[in-house]
Order: sequence, then C-alpha cells, then structure tokens
Amino acid sequence: MIKKISLLIILFIMLILFIQMQFDLKGYLNYFSHEYFLSHTYKDTASSNIVTGIYLDYRLFDSIFEASILLIVVSGIVYMTTKEGEENERVFIFEKVKISNLLTILSRVLYPFMLMFGVYIIIHGHLSPGGGFQGGAILATAVLITYYIDPDKITKFSLIIFLEKLLFISILIISSLSLLTKNVLFTNFIPNQTSNTYRSIFLILLNLLIGIKVSLGLVSIFSSFLKEGRS
Amino acid sequence: MVIIANLIQVLLIAISISIVFSKDNTRVVVFLASFSLLSACLYFLNKAPDVALAEVAIGSAIMPLFYILSISKQREFIVMSHVDDDYLKNEKNQKGKGYLLLENFTDYYKLKLYIFNDAEKAELKGIFRKSNVDLIIEKDESTNTYFLIGKQSSILMNKLAQLVENDDKTIVVKVKESETRD
Repeated sequence: MIKKISLLIILFIMLILFIQMQFDLKGYLNYFSHEYFLSHTYKDTASSNIVTGIYLDYRLFDSIFEASILLIVVSGIVYMTTKEGEENERVFIFEKVKISNLLTILSRVLYPFMLMFGVYIIIHGHLSPGGGFQGGAILATAVLITYYIDPDKITKFSLIIFLEKLLFISILIISSLSLLTKNVLFTNFIPNQTSNTYRSIFLILLNLLIGIKVSLGLVSIFSSFLKEGRS
Repeated sequence: MVIIANLIQVLLIAISISIVFSKDNTRVVVFLASFSLLSACLYFLNKAPDVALAEVAIGSAIMPLFYILSISKQREFIVMSHVDDDYLKNEKNQKGKGYLLLENFTDYYKLKLYIFNDAEKAELKGIFRKSNVDLIIEKDESTNTYFLIGKQSSILMNKLAQLVENDDKTIVVKVKESETRD
C-alpha cells in the first residue's frame, strides 16, 4: 500500500512539474526553425513530408545512430538468450498447445492486408505521414501474426542477424555516397539540378532499407523471447 | 475538438491510476495497450500523425505481445518425472499421491501444471539450464522414498517443503543451479 501511495504522489508531482514547465517555456518560444523548415524543406530535400525531410536529409547522421542502437539491442538480446553448446532438439508437448481455429483463420485473412499496409507506409514515407520506422513496426506485427498460423515458421536466427547487419552497412554506404557526387557526407547523393521526382528515389531507398531492418530486428527480439529456455 | 482532447486526457489519468492499483498482470497489459492507443489519438489531435503511427504499432501491438509472452512463461510449472509407477497417476477416479500434492501446490499459486514422463533418465546433466524444468521427481527403489529436486533460488520450493513436512516418504531436495545430483 505504501508503495502504491508513494507512486501516486510521484505521478502527482510529475503532473505539477509538467504544468509548471508549460508556463516556463513561454519565454523561450520562437518560430524561426518552424518557418525555415516550412519554406525550405521541399526545395532542399524533395520531400513533401517535413518530418521525413528532416530525418533523412538534414539530420541523417542522427538517424544512422538510431538504426545502430536497434542493431546493438537485438544482438545483445540474442547473445543473452541463446545457449552455448550443442542444440538440444527435444520438443516439449506444451509447444503444441491448441490455438483456436477462429484466431488462425482470421490471422490468415489479415496477414496480406497488414503486409500491404506496412509496405505502403514505408514507400509513401516522403509523401504522407509514416516512414521507415513506423512501417517497419507494422510489418513486424504482420510477421508476428504468423506465429498463430505456424509456430515453427522462423528458425534461422543467424540468418536474420546477418541480414540486419548487411542492411545497416548498406544504409551507411548509401548515405555516404554523396561524398562522391557533392563532396558532403550524409545527404542526398542525387544532384540538386535534377527534378524532384528523381531526387525522391534516395528517400524511398533509405526508407525501404530502414523499414526492413526495423522489422527484422523486432521479429528477432520476439522469437528469441519465445525460444528462451525451451530449445 | 478541444472537448474530445480533454476527455482523452482525463481517461489517461484514470487508466494510469487503475494500472497502479490493479493486481492481475494480464489486465494491466490490456490497460497499457489501451493507454498507448488513447495517447496515439491525442498525438493525432495535436497534429503529429507520424508519432501517432509509431505509438500505435509499438505501444499497442508489439509491447503487449512481449508482456503476454513473458507472463505466460511465468504461469507454467514444469515437472519432469523419472518415476514409472502410480505416484503421478492422473485418471478420473484415482489420482496418485504425488499428483494430488502437486495439484494442491499449483492451485495455491494459480500455476499451470505440466508433467513429462521421462522414465529412461535420458539426460539429467544440466537439465535446469537447458529446458527450464522447475522440478524433477525421482524414486529410491530400496527405501521406497520419492525425491522432489528443484532449484535452490526458487521461492516456491519453500512452500513445497512446507507441504510435505509430515510425509516421511517424500523429501524435497534443493540444488544450486548448474549442479548435478546422482
């Protein structure tokens, strides 16, 4: 009881601090960057979605470190959950607990639509809300639904981790290609004179790579959680 | 629009308080999922659809899946039996003495009981580490006593030892992890 009450008191103090912060921030508020990004983003980065323009062009360096954090987390979790020594092939009975037919059939119906929606979110990342990370998370939920259809679907962890590393390296290479064409690191490698349609190829490519990488990472985290302690 | 946003904020506060006071783990997970769904609505109303999409996908689909998976792992009590007589018999009319004991024990903690028969003693070495077995049952043929072997670090073993205190034929043995007993 004391724990819960102290937790509630902490939440209440946080609420007061947040309300207080609103009044404190008013002195520092200005709209310089707001106006700058609104007027310059489409011209500079060929992206209608300003958020995508920022994280794939102005702040590409930050996005690379974001991608690397997920890679490090996934490899840490897989390293801790896989056991050393030989693989034990024993399968226990409770792995084959009955899943209700309704759930299986519904997930079979939903699966292609979820995949399609995820790919749509990724490919339209520079035009509409969304992008690599969001679409990748939706793709990962679509793949996780296959566990209801067939629990033994995904078995090769090492392949997934290898693919993820490969994708990360290709993101690095594509984002540093601009050193050859523009003499600047981490920006669009297609020259500024070409039309915006061609320049958005870079955004689509990076969004696609980031999306696949994020979905592979989340799937491998989930399956290592599932396999932990029962191989 | 402002009314809807304020309503959602009040709902968020109510849900977070009920999360703090709830005792059932699965209920807390459902509350967490609904919390992130409502906060995604709030993000959308405040013109941040990108963040709302990420919140819906991560907060209300993937994180509850992780939580439910780990909770369902906590709910199981896995017993490996090296005994091939009536001790662990489970039929409609007659239940073995050991089965009644284990059923009593798992009902107390609301766990699900799984028993695997492994009478040939396939491999005992390092079995705790490899396949997450909570309890191993063995029998000494000469003295007719049963040994319940479990991890020393598990708190549940104390309750089991308490249950069999008056029984001379059943002995609870606590083993350190990665230690074998022959």
